[in-house]
Amino acid sequence: MIGGLDGDRRAYTALLDALVPMLRSFFARRLRGATEDVEDLVQETMIAIHTRRASYDRDRMFTAWAYAIARYKMIDHFRRRRVTVPMEGLDDILVAEGFEDAASARMDVDRLLGGLSAKQERIIRQTRIEGLSTAEAAARGDISESDVKVSVHRGLLAMAKRLAGGS
Amino acid sequence: MRTEDLVASLAGNVRAVPRGAVQRRIAIGIAGGAILTMILVVEWLGLRPDLPIAVTGFRFWMKWAYTIAIGAVAVAATIHLARPEAASPRRLWWLVVPAGLLVVLALGDVVRTPPADWVALWQGGSWQVCTRNIAILSLPIFAGIMLAFRRFAPTRLRLTGAVAGLAAGACGAVLYCLHCPEVSALFVLVWYSLGILAAAAMGAIVGPRLLRW
Repeated sequence: MIGGLDGDRRAYTALLDALVPMLRSFFARRLRGATEDVEDLVQETMIAIHTRRASYDRDRMFTAWAYAIARYKMIDHFRRRRVTVPMEGLDDILVAEGFEDAASARMDVDRLLGGLSAKQERIIRQTRIEGLSTAEAAARGDISESDVKVSVHRGLLAMAKRLAGGS
Repeated sequence: MRTEDLVASLAGNVRAVPRGAVQRRIAIGIAGGAILTMILVVEWLGLRPDLPIAVTGFRFWMKWAYTIAIGAVAVAATIHLARPEAASPRRLWWLVVPAGLLVVLALGDVVRTPPADWVALWQGGSWQVCTRNIAILSLPIFAGIMLAFRRFAPTRLRLTGAVAGLAAGACGAVLYCLHCPEVSALFVLVWYSLGILAAAAMGAIVGPRLLRW
């Protein structure tokens, strides 16, 4: 987002592309099946995020800001349609914390892995996120087991270095 | 329209947004409104004739300190509410500091004045117009803040309108001090505060309509 605020078109496109599936699942979970409304809301939220991006504070969490906008758009949608929501389900609809954390964690992981070579990224995803064993990853990539181990080791080292450097 | 096309068209239009854009836009909005208000003060009400002497006196600065302090707190809260994550007005309770100080000064005035003159103390010479004038002078500044908010994402609309009105009322009152010759702390405490609160009430009424997005 900061890239987008600085006028970097590539970074901004990547951000918007990443937001679309997140917003879709955010609204889909809460509207329960009204597919057209979900897409409308996704688009409305994207437009709001774009036109009101001046209200994003660079020092704060981007996802919290984006979901606050999505939540406002959803409440506005309910109000317009005069949909009443049963009180029992209200917490599920309004609270998005767990999902937000998961989504922002995924974005952070993606960003970190993006700094590695393609091979290191693929193998770390396979062994550390998808849960394959070293042997399975080696068989799938058609490389030796020691090669897998070295790639994982170097990749994790590079990521740790980036985290420590804070970049 | 397909969402993918929308993303492409939005991404095709990335004007850089400077750091501190919220503060900057609100400052511009207030300054723009203040120019109009200043014109109103000079052309419609007229500056107080003894202004050059008055600015050296304690009473003038008492009024400015009171209104500027309220304005600073309200503007800070307005900036906070421009962001969608803002749930509550932050640090609005700081308003008790200027109000408390003015209450102390007003009590001091009352104690030192014989009861026969108390009416003059709180009615001054302009109590009938003071509140109304401040409310009117706040309007251009309120409009400026509302224009600034077109690029913001407030989610508590009524509250944001009220706090923006409070800020506009306080700024209007700051400029009204250039016209108003009253010197009594009690007068300021009653009629200035009422004028500023009237501006806040107007903001609360029109906020949800003007700020909706």
